[in-house]
Amino acid sequence: MSEEKTIIEDISREFYDFRFEENAAYKVDSGLTEEIVRQISEEKNDPAWMRDFRLRCLGIFHRTAMPDWGPSIEGLNMDNIVTYVRPNTRRMQQSWDDVPSDIKDTFERLGIPQSERESLAGVGAQYDSELVYHNVREEVSRQGVIYTDIESALRGPYGDMIKDHFMKLVPPTDHKFAALHGAVWSGGSFVYVPKGASVEIPLQSYFRLNAPGAGQFEHTLIIVEEGAYLHFIEGCSAPKYNVANLHAGCVELFVGKNATLRYSTIENWSKNMYNLNTKRARVEEGGKIEWVSGSFGSHVSYLYPMSILCGAGARSEFTGVTFAGNGQNLDTGCKVVHQAPDTSSYVNTRSISKSGGISTFRSALVIDQKAAGSKASVSCQSLMLDDISRSDTIPAMDIRTAKADVGHEAKIGRISDDAVFYLMSRGLSEDDARALIVSGFAENVSKELPLEYAVEMNNLIRIEMKGAIG
Amino acid sequence: MQKVLNKPLTNTFGWLHMNGTSLEIPEETEEKAIVLSPSEEKQLILDDACPNRALHIEVQEGAVLKLIQISRSDERGIHHIEVQLQKNGRFEWYRLILGSAAVYDDCKVTLIGDDSSFTARIGYDLKAENRMDMNCEAVHLGKRTTSNIKALGVLDGQAFKLLRGTIDLRTGCKGAKGDEYEDVLLLSDDVHNQSIPMILCSEEDVEGNHGATIGQLPEELIYYMTSRGIEKDDLYTLMARSRLDSIIQTLPDEALREALLSR
Amino acid sequence: MSEPLLSIQNLFVSVEDSAEGILNGASLSIGKGETHVLMGPNGAGKSTLAGAIMGNPAYQITGGTITFEGENLLEKSVSERARSGLFLSFQNPIEVPGISLSNFIRTALEMRTGKKIRAWAFKKEVKQVLDALQMDEEYAERDLNVGFSGGEKKKAEILQMLLLKPSLAILDETDSGLDVDAVRTVSKGIQEFQKDKDASLLIITHNAAILSALQVDQVHILVDGRIVAEGGPELIEEIEKEGFSHFEEAGVSASEEGKPNE
Repeated sequence: MSEEKTIIEDISREFYDFRFEENAAYKVDSGLTEEIVRQISEEKNDPAWMRDFRLRCLGIFHRTAMPDWGPSIEGLNMDNIVTYVRPNTRRMQQSWDDVPSDIKDTFERLGIPQSERESLAGVGAQYDSELVYHNVREEVSRQGVIYTDIESALRGPYGDMIKDHFMKLVPPTDHKFAALHGAVWSGGSFVYVPKGASVEIPLQSYFRLNAPGAGQFEHTLIIVEEGAYLHFIEGCSAPKYNVANLHAGCVELFVGKNATLRYSTIENWSKNMYNLNTKRARVEEGGKIEWVSGSFGSHVSYLYPMSILCGAGARSEFTGVTFAGNGQNLDTGCKVVHQAPDTSSYVNTRSISKSGGISTFRSALVIDQKAAGSKASVSCQSLMLDDISRSDTIPAMDIRTAKADVGHEAKIGRISDDAVFYLMSRGLSEDDARALIVSGFAENVSKELPLEYAVEMNNLIRIEMKGAIG
Repeated sequence: MQKVLNKPLTNTFGWLHMNGTSLEIPEETEEKAIVLSPSEEKQLILDDACPNRALHIEVQEGAVLKLIQISRSDERGIHHIEVQLQKNGRFEWYRLILGSAAVYDDCKVTLIGDDSSFTARIGYDLKAENRMDMNCEAVHLGKRTTSNIKALGVLDGQAFKLLRGTIDLRTGCKGAKGDEYEDVLLLSDDVHNQSIPMILCSEEDVEGNHGATIGQLPEELIYYMTSRGIEKDDLYTLMARSRLDSIIQTLPDEALREALLSR
Repeated sequence: MSEPLLSIQNLFVSVEDSAEGILNGASLSIGKGETHVLMGPNGAGKSTLAGAIMGNPAYQITGGTITFEGENLLEKSVSERARSGLFLSFQNPIEVPGISLSNFIRTALEMRTGKKIRAWAFKKEVKQVLDALQMDEEYAERDLNVGFSGGEKKKAEILQMLLLKPSLAILDETDSGLDVDAVRTVSKGIQEFQKDKDASLLIITHNAAILSALQVDQVHILVDGRIVAEGGPELIEEIEKEGFSHFEEAGVSASEEGKPNE
């Protein structure tokens, strides 16, 4: 049976791979120099502190070494990456009718306006380096919830709040690509949920990178105040070009006392993308961060959402799935740092490797001396679908108090022939049987997603599994 | 000479400081080659004597080596063990660390031949400022090879322990199985435990499992044991001892086993 | 009846993360040397009652009292309760590698009495009990519950009961999920325990089979966290025939009445 495996160069991603001629209004030269950073800052009309911050980050970028773990990023030549591409719309729109037709078409085909009408409380849509659309339902804004692009927030009444939080959780010194982000960031969302407000239906940001050889460096800053609730969904995609694209976004989440933030991502970058994204949450007393993360796209990923539990009783949940197919090297996982008493964390991940894809689960769990009474549970399972792929599990634990309860389990294996046989005996083809089993394997994530996203995710799995035009 | 010891097969995040340990290496290391000829069975007990040791072991077809290694001195010890297993070969490593000042162990086992197997039984009882820094790797090349690493230990005082355990299932090792289990009981708030149990895999037809329990005794266990009249404090003493005992019970040498059980 | 050995008055118990109580004013008492049976449908709170008596930390006592041998049990730690003569047989006892079953019982006995027990004498006693239960001698030397089948775990609990000699043993569904053979062993163990005229038992079960060979003094029916009926062994027969449904109706009305003013 295993001899019959078909190996396909790249799966059909028709749905995401459509692209429009680049029709940018403005873009900077490729490469990274002080001149370019100054140009971006000028183009964006930054306050002085932000311009200085960008330049400081550039210095840090130049003197910081490449990461010494994870997949090779030699194929990424910064000299070829265009860091800023402004789409041909002068300003962000609040009505899809005002969005230029090629861009609107892109989001229509991705189903964003439709989801907005049906199941979202607000949407932000970024095309290349800038937000082109942003809107939020009235009943949500009436609660005092702010959901806007980060640039206008920077110049508006929340300017000081942004200054106080911007890259404070992920400092530019964190790693080379955090510094890069600080220097050339553009676009992204700012969400502020005031004390006690509860946003029952999710907000979504969708990031679309259209220009070839470009980088996307959006910054997402979310502040959820005491007792508030928010579900935020992030989606990403890009068409495939022959040159490398780079995504080095940054997500900073501040979860207040007894507040809950659920942050869901279905990432489906094209397979020429270097996805070097940094996500981090800081959780106060009794608060909770829930990460739901599906990684399907990109050529190379480095993605480890981090939770810092700094208030007593703070909690973190991470549920993730990673599917690495042909030509993909996805290094994903998470980090949790327990810094306060009675904090708890729960990690549940699945990785799938197929057609020569490499998936690595990499995690760090730190329970420091101040975190007496903390509990942590990590469970990671990996599925190997053939013998030309690779799957690594590298979970690190660092425990510094006796009053901790840490449980960890990891499993790696293959699809059982019995399960395939059972399903085939009920009339499924072998391919369908295997696809069904893999979908079931990834159920930890799909059951945490709103229905339409779960459907999209299962579609992605089916496309990856079949490796045929679907 | 400063040297990086116990470097694992792959790196993790640098800020965790788990990608090897930089140490001043003493000149005098007892170097030894051990070859087991086909079907030979051998038991070797290394109890304390030599602080720094490098063993190069070749276990030929169908041979079995049982290596019992105990550290209980106040010296620092650096041990390097390299094992190659041929077809049907077996290597059993029994490693007890009973309050040694500092132990640096690097045990690399390559399962070359089909059906070869490796078991590691590691028990440690660390107190005061004891240190244990261990790298234990099972590299599966042959078909149906098995590895089973089990480490049970207790940390008290300001003890530090770092265990890197790696099961590496390489392409071609069809039918291989690797298991790793770790249980660490922490008795003081000044201890420091680091664990990095890795499973690396580039073969489909394999099975790899890892489980770890770290920290205090689980609540259900405390409830069960105290419901039979045992006080909580006594329970910790009892359970600390039981961890080591369950490793000692597996020792293939009866005299040593009995002597250690009645310690 | 003189002062009962165990007396539970109007007990309210809840678990963390749940506003709803599991026990809502349960009362029952057991005298010295008596064998009581506690029956009730699934989810009635039977195991919770057993756990509350033993001091399971998962349960919060929100009201009522439990006295044992005239002393307030709720003030005592789990091990103090055990040493005052209580024993609970667990439905799913924990596996403890590195400690043999016989070693564990000896340690527990030594800690209960504060006296060293001579290995030889203890070994002989263990053998006697094993013989009485028709269990293999090798059994006691295996690590506590490690790799034991469901039946073996239950038998190991019975063995502990017979050697620890509590004044009140609570058997929580010790007979459930066992094959005929194991039920026989458990049943034999209980009869052995009853030979001591001062020994009391609270048997929790929803299976009348195990009770047929035993002398039962009183039966309590627990529904929705309250005792809704009490009586002699004839109640067992009634339940066997008709199930709990009419008690459940009674239970609903009882708990309506019993609701505190809101």
